Amino acid sequence: MGLKTSMKIIVINDMGTMRKIIEKMLKTMGFTNITQADDGATALPMIKEATELGVPYEFIVSDWNMPGMSGLDLLKTLRADDQYKDLPFLMVTAEAEQGNVVIAVKAGVSNFIVKPFSAATLQEKIQKIFKA
Amino acid sequence: MSEFIEFSKPFVEGIQKVFETMVFTKLEPGKPIIKSDRQAKGDISAIMGLIGTVEVEGTDREFQGMFLLTWETDVYVKIASAMLMEEYTDFNDQIEDVGAEIANIVTGNAKRTLTQMGFKIEMAVPSTVTGKGHCFKYPSGTTTIMVPLSCVHGDFVMELCYQSHND
Repeated sequence: MGLKTSMKIIVINDMGTMRKIIEKMLKTMGFTNITQADDGATALPMIKEATELGVPYEFIVSDWNMPGMSGLDLLKTLRADDQYKDLPFLMVTAEAEQGNVVIAVKAGVSNFIVKPFSAATLQEKIQKIFKA
Repeated sequence: MSEFIEFSKPFVEGIQKVFETMVFTKLEPGKPIIKSDRQAKGDISAIMGLIGTVEVEGTDREFQGMFLLTWETDVYVKIASAMLMEEYTDFNDQIEDVGAEIANIVTGNAKRTLTQMGFKIEMAVPSTVTGKGHCFKYPSGTTTIMVPLSCVHGDFVMELCYQSHND
């Protein structure tokens, strides 16, 4: 799976601050096609609609803890659908406990990033996902 | 007080880590003091409720507390500008959840250390309160410690409301 700067990315987070920071970091890495959503429940129809229109999202960066639909529930929902079983999914969380990593890995997460993080760490996580 | 210091340490370390990584500056904590009133020291406060249990001599006991950060508006705006990597000159809806996000990250990081200390804390959703001289309603039976914090953008205050479990 290659890493192209034009890939369609959706950043999902209930906090506008973190959406802005992640989008800014992605832009400094050269990514240009970035959309935002404020929780899993908002993002899911956007992801499905984009697929139906033939312009699917190619990378998801989602927070874990969100009202409505959490990042974990979104991940499980997507992985249950064959067309999204390989969609790269980076989970962002404030909770640095090992148990969370295990839960996310079992649910099929592509990689995991714990807040606070730098642009360099985000880039490293993305590179790992797309090199795999 | 030593029990209190032990509880506050992961929060102090957490906020230092957040500032180094995402606000791009070092944060120096001052000497903690016990707070005796309910009034905020700043104009903008980010509040995180702490609810859960703590293990005392093999038994889980209910625990409640509160973690908050409070800033003067000018300091908040400077910190938000640094964190969002764009210049803001006043408090507005573009930056209103910066403080809450900082409180959320700090609590998430502190939780890992607190778990090792026997605390099982549920992460709540942080909230923001604004206005000069606003007051807090601290959970009953708790003591509040204030830790002054200082960085290049100015000074602000961290408060931790803590319920002793050794009574």
